[in-house]
Amino acid sequence: MTSGKRSQGTTSSWLALAACAASTFLALLEPGASAQPAPSPTPTAESAAPTATPAAAAPTATPAAAAPTATPDAASSTTPAVPTAVPIGPPAPAVAHTHGLAPIAGDGVVPIEWMPPGSKTSPIPSDEIFPPQQITIRFNHKKHIGELKQGCKVCHAAAYASLDGADTLIAKPNETCDNCHDIDHSDLKNVKAGTDPNGQCTFCHLGDNAGVGGKVAAMTIPKPNLRFPHKKHLDRNVQCGQCHGRIEEMELATRDQLPRMAGCFTCHQMSGAAQGDAKSDCETCHLTNPGGKLAVQFGSGMLVPPSWLHNAGHTADWIERHKTVAADDSSFCGSCHTNTYCTDCHDGKVRNRKVHPNDWLSMHPEAARQDNPRCTSCHAEQTFCGDCHRRVGVARDSASGARPAGRRFHPDAAVWTNGPRSASHHAWEAERNLNACVSCHTERDCATCHATKGVSGGQGVNPHPVGFAGSCGAAFLRNPRPCLVCHQAGDTNLRTCK
Amino acid sequence: MAPRIDLRRSAHLRSLGAVCALASGLVGAHGAAQAADFEVQSETAAQAYQVTSPWGDIVLDRRRLMQTLGLSVYSLQGKYEPGKPDYNITLRLRLNADFGLNQQHTGEPAGAETSFGSTGSRYVPGMEEVPLDLMYGYVEGRNVMRGLFGFRLGRQYVSDMLGWWSFDGGLVRVTTPFYVQAEVYGGLEQRNGLVLSTGRWERNGIWRGGHEGFGSGAGQPSVTDYPSYQYAQPAPAFGAALESAGPTWLHGRVSYRRVYNTGTSITQQFANPAAAGSEGGFKAITGDRISSDRIGYAADVSLLSGAPLRAPIGAKGGFSYDLYADTVNTWFGGLEVYAGRIATIGVDADYYLPTFDADSIWNWFTHGANTTYSGRASFRFTRRFDLSLSGGARTWTTEGDPATFGAGECATVKTLIPDCKPGVSYVDPTGSQKALREYVRDPANRAQQTVVDALGNVAARYRIGNGQIGLRGMVQAGERGHRAGGDIYGDQGFVGGKFQLGARVSLYDWDDPMRPDRSATSFGYVLGAGFKPGSIADLRIEWEHDMNRLVGQRFRIVGLLNLWVLK
Repeated sequence: MTSGKRSQGTTSSWLALAACAASTFLALLEPGASAQPAPSPTPTAESAAPTATPAAAAPTATPAAAAPTATPDAASSTTPAVPTAVPIGPPAPAVAHTHGLAPIAGDGVVPIEWMPPGSKTSPIPSDEIFPPQQITIRFNHKKHIGELKQGCKVCHAAAYASLDGADTLIAKPNETCDNCHDIDHSDLKNVKAGTDPNGQCTFCHLGDNAGVGGKVAAMTIPKPNLRFPHKKHLDRNVQCGQCHGRIEEMELATRDQLPRMAGCFTCHQMSGAAQGDAKSDCETCHLTNPGGKLAVQFGSGMLVPPSWLHNAGHTADWIERHKTVAADDSSFCGSCHTNTYCTDCHDGKVRNRKVHPNDWLSMHPEAARQDNPRCTSCHAEQTFCGDCHRRVGVARDSASGARPAGRRFHPDAAVWTNGPRSASHHAWEAERNLNACVSCHTERDCATCHATKGVSGGQGVNPHPVGFAGSCGAAFLRNPRPCLVCHQAGDTNLRTCK
Repeated sequence: MAPRIDLRRSAHLRSLGAVCALASGLVGAHGAAQAADFEVQSETAAQAYQVTSPWGDIVLDRRRLMQTLGLSVYSLQGKYEPGKPDYNITLRLRLNADFGLNQQHTGEPAGAETSFGSTGSRYVPGMEEVPLDLMYGYVEGRNVMRGLFGFRLGRQYVSDMLGWWSFDGGLVRVTTPFYVQAEVYGGLEQRNGLVLSTGRWERNGIWRGGHEGFGSGAGQPSVTDYPSYQYAQPAPAFGAALESAGPTWLHGRVSYRRVYNTGTSITQQFANPAAAGSEGGFKAITGDRISSDRIGYAADVSLLSGAPLRAPIGAKGGFSYDLYADTVNTWFGGLEVYAGRIATIGVDADYYLPTFDADSIWNWFTHGANTTYSGRASFRFTRRFDLSLSGGARTWTTEGDPATFGAGECATVKTLIPDCKPGVSYVDPTGSQKALREYVRDPANRAQQTVVDALGNVAARYRIGNGQIGLRGMVQAGERGHRAGGDIYGDQGFVGGKFQLGARVSLYDWDDPMRPDRSATSFGYVLGAGFKPGSIADLRIEWEHDMNRLVGQRFRIVGLLNLWVLK
């Protein structure tokens, strides 16, 4: 240890005593403030610390280093916060560090080119994949990598062998930080700070009280909810920056420097031999439940697709528009949803309140007139609609001569059925919304008038569109059955189609 | 009335036994396949409510019980590894009973709705009190041969531009590393009246079902009593699809499917005594024929960082062409702009023309499409709060102008019927109505006319810890009536989600100019409470109370119990 360091340590001891006295006084005023050192009256800029040596750099943000169990022997609430194993003096007073606290000093804006690929599409990483962190340490990557020429592997050697995204990729502080910093983390219950300012707890750990009582603020870096074998990527020469951005240009690495899915697709949609294991299947990266469906429920939220992926953002009106995605790529839906999820609505037997509001039974006739395309996406008209309509008497298909009398759902026959047509004639409603007719009526109801006269039993009212005669032949060849409902085999009208 | 043997139910029981045996086998197999995951799910839903007829005096007591039982064995090969071969078995049975059937009609014979009885006036062919169906049940292999092959064998779903569909059979998928995968499948379409099946998946337009109990004996319904009610027959089907695989910014799928009708179908709806056929004077047709024959394509593209673009955009579109009806039966298209982190703005169009099973007469009835045009904006202000707004128009078409068509008809017969008025029946003294028919068939009088409904929707959600509140509102208005209203809902979990309370309040108003007596304003609320003692069980009870002038007060109680075990 140099004499300069001893001198600084002596000064620090006096400052610590002063801080202790102040904290004792404060404790009398406010118990919660016990053992808190007084704010440093002599803030020291980071540049004041030795920076020409590796020892000036902050340690990596490692959970181990953040463990609140480092308890220097002499630390207590009533004594100076000086670990007894530390040769000289109490921890350095808090200083106004300005570097290593954010990706860019002063919490400046990171240029988009430095951000992880895909950040333009997804400015912030997914909370569900990378749950929120609490980083209670400062670290200057730019300094370590740029000035000190410490490559990523110095601190993250584990990444080069990692096959699991949940692996801890930061080496223990005594294997990395302590190599340069004047501190000994070999026993985290008894961390020994040195005398050099870069070896003080507050040099890296945030908070004026870092190290006081042998404690530092807890750091929370949850495991990512992701499959990510670093080794596989590195083995294929996918370098750190291709996922994390230009870390070497930044100071503190935060969640913002974690990958974006849009960036993953730079590689994960190749074809042929280039594809290798880098498939675009969701399960390639996302965690799955038994059965291969994606795990979507996490403590930090529910995983949903981003808006830009298949236009599938699960917005508040998603139920109105999900069909366009399902029609295009139902296997994409099936990545997360089971059959049952879909059939709960599309073959549902319990009215889903997300689909139909309260009192749907009363209002559904008007909805069927205005919204009919949607009915048939879940309901079979002949059974689901027809059965209930027959039971309740709206549809009257029963054995000939056994229909209840005196019931008429539609307007009076003069308006609804007979000519000349008013604006309320059934022909217009049938043309606009034929599905609604089919939800009650059977073929015989229509054939009563629209079949040809004579043995077919109808009145000969032609229901076909204009120009039908020119196209009916092909239809007859493919399936003559509908023609024969209304036309006898020898019908002159049918003969033209044959 | 003497009880009859319900052949369909017997078949159901046999099938149920087979499925239970399979389930037992799977359970036994699980003992051997230690690494496999074994899942059992049960869903019970009990509902009680009443349905009134528009005339008020027929009240259906609906006492419904739905019970599903799902069974799955995952990763039969052992440990699941992404991208590696994976084999699963999964099935789900459903019992959907309504114990209110046959209960509500005083003076009717017992079981009048499900048995023909002496009058038949309440009988609904094909309806069962306790139907049982196998929703799905298949063996699946994925990522076989380094991801090249996948297959499914059994009852399964296919969903694409041709719709959401179910069949019994096999499907094989080949996924190449060259951006393309192919799929072929074949089997039998799931149809009403076949064993363990429902009619949900067959095309509309034909009323089908089992004819158990039909016959010529006393008290039995005859097929000629219900000539529109067709026999359930196996429906062979096959299909194929080509789909992109790999790119995430572009996806497309082109699919083709054909389904056949087989067996005998009654054609003529009225007896022809002079030409008695095999169905008692109602002519029938026998043989294989097309049921549906369609091709569809859908695609979407997302452009995330194109140089000329200031914001990512997405586009999507698709269509389905009915080869039998020789027409496009649906298409859609849309464009979305992802404007920053908060907003998504888009426009959409959606065209729908009803088409039916090829056995149906309605494909050839004059009918038009409706097309919906809308604009949309979604905002995700925070992780807790999002809001979507949309508005647009829906068009409906007719061949001819309803406002003037009747007047035109009268003009053609004014010499015969001077006081002719649209909407007032008349008798053509000549009896031929020839002039009228000529007017109706004249293309000059059948020019397409369009009416427009205005649409608007709003949906919003705000999440609060273990709960959320939300709003959903809508309006649809036009000359054919209107609906407008909304729901406000909320739910909140307590004790880490172990207990849950929920509520929903709604207010809606609707108007039907064609049936003004059916217009009303409705107010309703739902109160719900849930209890989740652990991950294996979830119980919820809901009480719904609606009130409007048509039905007065309507109550509905729903009980839901979900059980889930995964080992």
